[in-house]
Amino acid sequence: MKPGPFLQLDRVIHEKVRMGLMSMLAASPELSFTELREGLQLTDGNLTTHIRTLQEAGYVAVTKAYRDNRPLTTCALTPAGRKAFAEYLALLAEIVRQNRGAA
Amino acid sequence: MDPADALAQLETIRIIMERAALYRRALGPICLCVGGVGVLAGGVGFGLHVENVTAFAALWLGAALAAVALAFFVARRQALGAGEPFWSPPTRRIASALLPPLVAGAALAVPFLLGEDWARRVVWLLPALWMILYGCALQAAGFFMRRGIRLLGWAYAVAGIADLLWWTCPLNQFPSIAQSHLVMGLGFGVGHLVYGAYLQITEHRAET
Repeated sequence: MKPGPFLQLDRVIHEKVRMGLMSMLAASPELSFTELREGLQLTDGNLTTHIRTLQEAGYVAVTKAYRDNRPLTTCALTPAGRKAFAEYLALLAEIVRQNRGAA
Repeated sequence: MDPADALAQLETIRIIMERAALYRRALGPICLCVGGVGVLAGGVGFGLHVENVTAFAALWLGAALAAVALAFFVARRQALGAGEPFWSPPTRRIASALLPPLVAGAALAVPFLLGEDWARRVVWLLPALWMILYGCALQAAGFFMRRGIRLLGWAYAVAGIADLLWWTCPLNQFPSIAQSHLVMGLGFGVGHLVYGAYLQITEHRAET
């Protein structure tokens, strides 16, 4: 038997900060570490921890480069991350829809 | 999960995505181009003694159109260079935020273009009103850009109000058209050049 939509929610994404990160990255081709940190008002350590979790899940790709002799870290959603986020959104919408159907 | 929570979650995601989809083109080169047009127009107006009301309005309306066209061209070039679409959702949002105050500013020039007699007496108001409207335009567009643009919007609005108060002060005489060219050249020309130079220096640094 297929579990209810809530039980199917991706636990990696279903966390406040990681959901914010996935949402920001879904809206842009890529974002720098600074933009993510300022966008979600996180500390460097907190952001690094959550990015690592998403990276380990294969949802986010991190690129380290240099621009004008300065280190630039950028993050972008991988195709798997984009797919997982789309499924996450669909499940949230499904939860809302089920309730409307029951009402 | 409660359906109300799911709905709130979807709303939060929508807001975060909208905020993240900022306009990302480098604004330094755009500001420098706009500033260059402003300084040139100010120089032409002041140096060539353009002291007719119609010519004043026409010169600055023309300069504004040239600046918009140049900004459009530079932004498009940057987008194509980055392999991204030019007319993206953030660009559309910025254009729609800028449009009402800019159209209002252009419409303000119409009576002066017609060279009505009363227009000569109040032409000194134009630079102040244009600066205030431009400040409003930047302030509105700034919601879809980095924070600095909103501060620039405030700077223009405050400069416009200061200009208005300065010339209406009983101790001062209303400015001549030549002085209005200087105000415009300083405000729109030098102002953009200074801000553009500042952005050129700091834009890359902010990304690291």
